[in-house]
Amino acid sequence: MRRIRIGKVLTIGFVLSLAGVYLSPFYWMAATALRPIADFYRFPPSLVPERVTFEAFTSVLIRRGFMMLLWNSLLVSLGAVSLSLLISMLIVYPLTRMPVSPRVRQGLLNWILSLRFLPPIVVVIPWFSIVRTMGLYDHVLSLVLLYTVFSLPFGTWMLRSFLLEIPKEIEEAAWVDGASRIRAFFSVVFPLLAPALLAGGVITFALMWSEFMFAFILTATPRSQTFPIGVASLVTQFQIIWNEMAAAGTLAALVPITLLLLARRYVLVALTFGAVREKS
Amino acid sequence: MHPRERSQNQLSLGHTPRRIGHLLPYLIVAPPLLLLGGLVIYPLFYNILLSLRASRTGEFIGLHNFVRAFTDPLFLASLRATGIYVALALTIEMIAGLALALLVYRTVQSGWVRTVIYLLFIVPLVTPPVSAGVIARLAFTPTYGLVNLLLRIAGILREDVLWLSTGPTAMFAVLSVDVWQWMPFVFLVCFAGLQGVPMDVVEAARVDGASGWQLFWQVEFPYLRALLLLVLVFRFTDTFRVFDHVMVLTAGGPGAATEFLSLYLYRVAFKFFDLNYAAALSLYVLLVASVAFGLLSHLLGREIEA
Repeated sequence: MRRIRIGKVLTIGFVLSLAGVYLSPFYWMAATALRPIADFYRFPPSLVPERVTFEAFTSVLIRRGFMMLLWNSLLVSLGAVSLSLLISMLIVYPLTRMPVSPRVRQGLLNWILSLRFLPPIVVVIPWFSIVRTMGLYDHVLSLVLLYTVFSLPFGTWMLRSFLLEIPKEIEEAAWVDGASRIRAFFSVVFPLLAPALLAGGVITFALMWSEFMFAFILTATPRSQTFPIGVASLVTQFQIIWNEMAAAGTLAALVPITLLLLARRYVLVALTFGAVREKS
Repeated sequence: MHPRERSQNQLSLGHTPRRIGHLLPYLIVAPPLLLLGGLVIYPLFYNILLSLRASRTGEFIGLHNFVRAFTDPLFLASLRATGIYVALALTIEMIAGLALALLVYRTVQSGWVRTVIYLLFIVPLVTPPVSAGVIARLAFTPTYGLVNLLLRIAGILREDVLWLSTGPTAMFAVLSVDVWQWMPFVFLVCFAGLQGVPMDVVEAARVDGASGWQLFWQVEFPYLRALLLLVLVFRFTDTFRVFDHVMVLTAGGPGAATEFLSLYLYRVAFKFFDLNYAAALSLYVLLVASVAFGLLSHLLGREIEA
């Protein structure tokens, strides 16, 4: 009995220390961001920063003007999230709640799921020339549209699974009481759907916030660049300013990590398109 | 009109409302689908048209761009690098993720420890690829880097390893980022799957004297199979199109050691400005992705049904 317990404590210790090792590179980034740049060049580097300063953060946001990029990221992600939730709803509601031929329903849902497997590089090459001819190159609108497309599979499938869990009878009861379909939707279905919609919105927002390739190829100036592009520019420049790079990397990661810890129960559900049920 | 009467009318009587009701769902779905079509289908056709022309002159050259790929050493090299990357990343992530899931599932019973583990391992999963690139940059840089630092402290290394300067070590660095980010995905999905195995079946097997190994292969594995397959296909598509953290960490270098397909296509399209050739190559990539999706929907066909 006793031996089993010791073994158990050891394995829990092992798993938790593995998690610690796992997060250590993350810690290293945050620690570098908080060090004065002089301490970066000291040998050997100390594992814990001896002096702490927020200089790198303010320098990145204000002196380099990354505030603007944060704003762009916010704008693009919010735009894409609203559009994609709206479109998902317009596709999912009729397909699951109205009489539609099963072949159409299945075909459409399947096609939308297939977008999850569409490699972005395949779309971005034609999109680049189309956007150029339309005068949308280096414009946030082109990003909003593309992000909408690429968050649709996820939005549609999540909404579908949530809608299926709301019994049809509730809605039908509202019709019998004289509510129109639209009224029944907004006063009965929507409130039940709201928490799931919020979670879905939060996760979509986090994913779009992190997107890199489209923004990298379709933007050129701070007018439309998103925050990740700013971060990448700090890594690839000739002389890297290490603490600023680390600060930017930390900032970029902070937003999705916070959001996804809030919506943690839905993260796996979302990433596996509902194959894994929500975690309590 | 009394509301009850009206709803009855809508439900059963009257020819016109019924016919409109019949078409209504299609009418609602049509506009978003048209928008989607414009954003996805049109570019794909545009791609096909691009791929059939020469980039300099713009003249029609048939399938020349597609044939050219087979004698393009850079393309073949990127194909090879991608193959190595995909194979190693998938193998390591699947085996390590599954092993960790089994270890935690068998030994950790306490609910809150499980929650703590879940939360700790979800962090790399939701880290943006750009930040993962920065993290790796700081881990693999020669003197200040965490990897060399820890290896020095442990006494394994005397001199710094220049991780990003030779082909194999750069490949290792790029791979390690993928494993760091996505092994937890396999782990958490498998763990959730294990929790879905009915307790009484496990108990019955235990009573019958099944060893841990038998318990896994005979009882748990069949429950996990569909999930493992799903994860495998997801990981395949994502590693096959890897771009973000590689662009930040090595930009394809040194030389072309980590220039995977997406990076090579990027270079052809936006550095060599040969959009037409890149379009042709991208259609090959699309073909592979389509096969992966076809496989998934074939194998999981029953679950996709509405």
